[in-house]
Amino acid sequence: MSASPDPRFTPAAQSDEALLEAHEKLLGRQPDSGGHYSLMPLGLLFLFSGLILFAATYLNRYSGHYAPTVFNENSVPSSGEAEVKVDPVAMGKRLFNTPGACVQCHQAAGTGMPGVYPPLAGSEWAQGPADRVIHILLYGLQGPITVEGKSFGTAVMPAFGSAGFNWSDDKIAAVLTYVRQEWGNKGGPITADQVQAVRSKAGNRAAMTAAELEAIK
Amino acid sequence: MRNGAILFLGLFAALALSWAGIVVGSSDQLGRLAPYYDEGEGASFPAGFPGIAVRGEQVYRDLNCASCHTQQVRRAGYGNDEARGWGTRQSVARDYIFQPAAQLGAARIGPDLANLGQRKVDREGLLRLLYSGRGAMPAYAFLFEKERIQGQLSSHALDVSGVEPGWQVVATPRAEALVSYLLSLSSPYDYPEAKAAASAGEEKK
Amino acid sequence: MTQTASASPEDVTAVEIHGRLPLLFLLGSSLLWLVLGGLLALVAGIQLHAPGFLAGCPVLSHGRAEALAESALVYGWLANAGLGLSLWILGRLGGEPLRAANWVGVGALFWNAALLYGICLVAVDGATAIPLAELPRGAQILMVFAYAAIGVGGVLAWTGRRRPAMYASQWYAVAALFLFPWLSCAAQALLVWSPARGVLQAVVAGWYGQGVWTLWLAPLTLAAAYYVVPKSTGKSLPAYEFAPLGFWCLLFVGAWTGGRHLIGGPVPAWIGSIAIVACFLILFHYVIVGLNLRGAFAGGSAALRLVSLGLLAYLLGGLVAAVTSLHGISEVTQFTYFDEAERQLAFAGAASLTFFGAIYYAVPRLTGRPWAWSGLVRLHVGLAILGTLLLVVALAGAGLAQGSDLNNPAFSFAMIAADTRGWLLAASAGQALLLFGNFLLLVNFIKSTACPFYAGDRVAQSLRPAGASA
Repeated sequence: MSASPDPRFTPAAQSDEALLEAHEKLLGRQPDSGGHYSLMPLGLLFLFSGLILFAATYLNRYSGHYAPTVFNENSVPSSGEAEVKVDPVAMGKRLFNTPGACVQCHQAAGTGMPGVYPPLAGSEWAQGPADRVIHILLYGLQGPITVEGKSFGTAVMPAFGSAGFNWSDDKIAAVLTYVRQEWGNKGGPITADQVQAVRSKAGNRAAMTAAELEAIK
Repeated sequence: MRNGAILFLGLFAALALSWAGIVVGSSDQLGRLAPYYDEGEGASFPAGFPGIAVRGEQVYRDLNCASCHTQQVRRAGYGNDEARGWGTRQSVARDYIFQPAAQLGAARIGPDLANLGQRKVDREGLLRLLYSGRGAMPAYAFLFEKERIQGQLSSHALDVSGVEPGWQVVATPRAEALVSYLLSLSSPYDYPEAKAAASAGEEKK
Repeated sequence: MTQTASASPEDVTAVEIHGRLPLLFLLGSSLLWLVLGGLLALVAGIQLHAPGFLAGCPVLSHGRAEALAESALVYGWLANAGLGLSLWILGRLGGEPLRAANWVGVGALFWNAALLYGICLVAVDGATAIPLAELPRGAQILMVFAYAAIGVGGVLAWTGRRRPAMYASQWYAVAALFLFPWLSCAAQALLVWSPARGVLQAVVAGWYGQGVWTLWLAPLTLAAAYYVVPKSTGKSLPAYEFAPLGFWCLLFVGAWTGGRHLIGGPVPAWIGSIAIVACFLILFHYVIVGLNLRGAFAGGSAALRLVSLGLLAYLLGGLVAAVTSLHGISEVTQFTYFDEAERQLAFAGAASLTFFGAIYYAVPRLTGRPWAWSGLVRLHVGLAILGTLLLVVALAGAGLAQGSDLNNPAFSFAMIAADTRGWLLAASAGQALLLFGNFLLLVNFIKSTACPFYAGDRVAQSLRPAGASA
């Protein structure tokens, strides 16, 4: 029957010197031993290779190309610019209602002010040819104009192109798209490319007049 | 191994490599993360962190609320955070750039709080919850003071039961700051990187 | 009937005689922190299923109680015990008495004073809410300087060693001595002194937290295990030729597991993926350690039994960490008590049990007399094993229940609390058993060291069985 050892003291089964010497020999660094190099057991080698393979495969699949914008390990970073689609109508509405812009004169409901500012709601000019409205916005309008049968001539429409507020093509396209579909208007949307085309063709010029506008189709 | 110098250099290299890879690498990527400007809305997101929320975050930290609450929403398909109403999308790094010490938390003994400001909670309700506790949440009565009613009930008095007549319970500035902080927790905007994360998850499904 | 041990003269060497005061101080303070930390952990654990428990006391509100318990156990119990044991082992393997014993003593004093100061500040003023770095920065700075003073003794014992070739315990002990101050200062710089922006703090905190385990506490644990096992069994370690590989694997791969708890979080996905990969690569280290130290399972003395169970917990911890890092499983276990169970498996299981075994081995040599009460030793061993097992298994069960409930929106948090209540009660029971056992160890230690020390050649005599000739 084996006696249980006294828990109050655990004897040392080898001295520190013996411990150090024995393990030094195992590492094959004793100057007098011939060197004791052993190949890693096959099992350990397989394990290590297997882990490396797993690591490489996992990182290949789930690292998201180490991109800072990838938060889902299943996705890859989007190539090129991630164009966030802006809704032109919403943007146009916001631009229209910016204090100091369109809403100041044409009013939020597009009614304008009788005798002073023409209405946009139901306006044949707003729903007319695209190039026409683009010209109005880019270069402004001066002189008398007849809108929905009524005459307006006292106020001047400022330019929103480079001579005036210097709005970008996107902004002009957005606000025009908004106006042409709001309050029952049935004009088509305007793209930034169309604005750009008008800009390059007409260049810098003074404010439009009603006659010049009618010449545009 | 007998060369002490090699051991020392090896130790330093081991630490330095992981430091460079993880800390410097992510600092490089996220260190200058700026708010995202939305053309359509004409505003930057996140919107900023009000001063009283900074004070409230200090209280949140002092009490170590992060030991029971997380503030990170996991993506759809990884757990069920969305179904619990904790958020409509995965939390991304940009949500936290204005927080002095983002309290991501590590345990969900209580619900996730990342978008508490978007849920149907009000100031009074949160104060009552802090005062009485509910379920697994302990009562934090020491964040409140009991004072004698002088004349009429204070407008700040908390509507709780169990108060002796003639006394009222009023929140200390710490409690008010904490509640302001909690109500400011909200990440409503859908950043491009968050959209990408969501769409990748849907593709996988 | 117990077989009384026979001692050899080399059991108490000049290392023990000259270094006994600071080393016993380190070990004694570690046991005091163990009991205090255990008490705080018990309070925090009870509050999980009984939230009203001590809720009115701001000092012991749940968050603060958790921070206090963690700081006391990691920086009080594990640090002091690990350092005391490592310094002793470095001294013995170096073959020379500890040259800077006074530095070690002063350092130990300041470490514990700074820790006490830090803990009082946390209790009164609140924690930093950074896991494993809850102490305020003033205390942390003092602790780094104190650690350097303690480390001086160890480093000098290492550089002044008689044999140029080093044994595994020496590598691991030296690694722990150097790595902790670097780790701590780097982390504190970016977390507290010049806080990084937004989620970067979480990344640095994760790197630090994982570093504390893989680069500091695990090396301290292994230094003790690699010493106690061959000394107790008398045999050389099998497969020792691969021990250096295991060592470097732990160090180079260890800290890359930093993103382990940020998987699926608001950080770029590569941080989590690299952590998962690192958790698997580090399994190689665990396999080598298991191969080396398997002699411990031969059993026998209390010390060896505790070290073998600590080893088992260590290996199991590594496997569990790797498996639960995978997305399919962490979907259930993340943010639950299961994470806490893993933490306890590492701290209370692997590190604590190994340190208990090593303390049982080392203290008779430092005091020059055996442990006072064998009954208390046996009782403590049983309670430590039972308590730790109960704690870890109960927390794991609670975590799995909580995790599956969390993923089902139909379960309210009240229902989750009801589901986990039984498990948490069992975990508290485990903590209580552990606390009681550790208290018995403290009592045994005090009794064993209270009597005046014997010096010189009378030491070996006291360790000989009664009636044997000198």
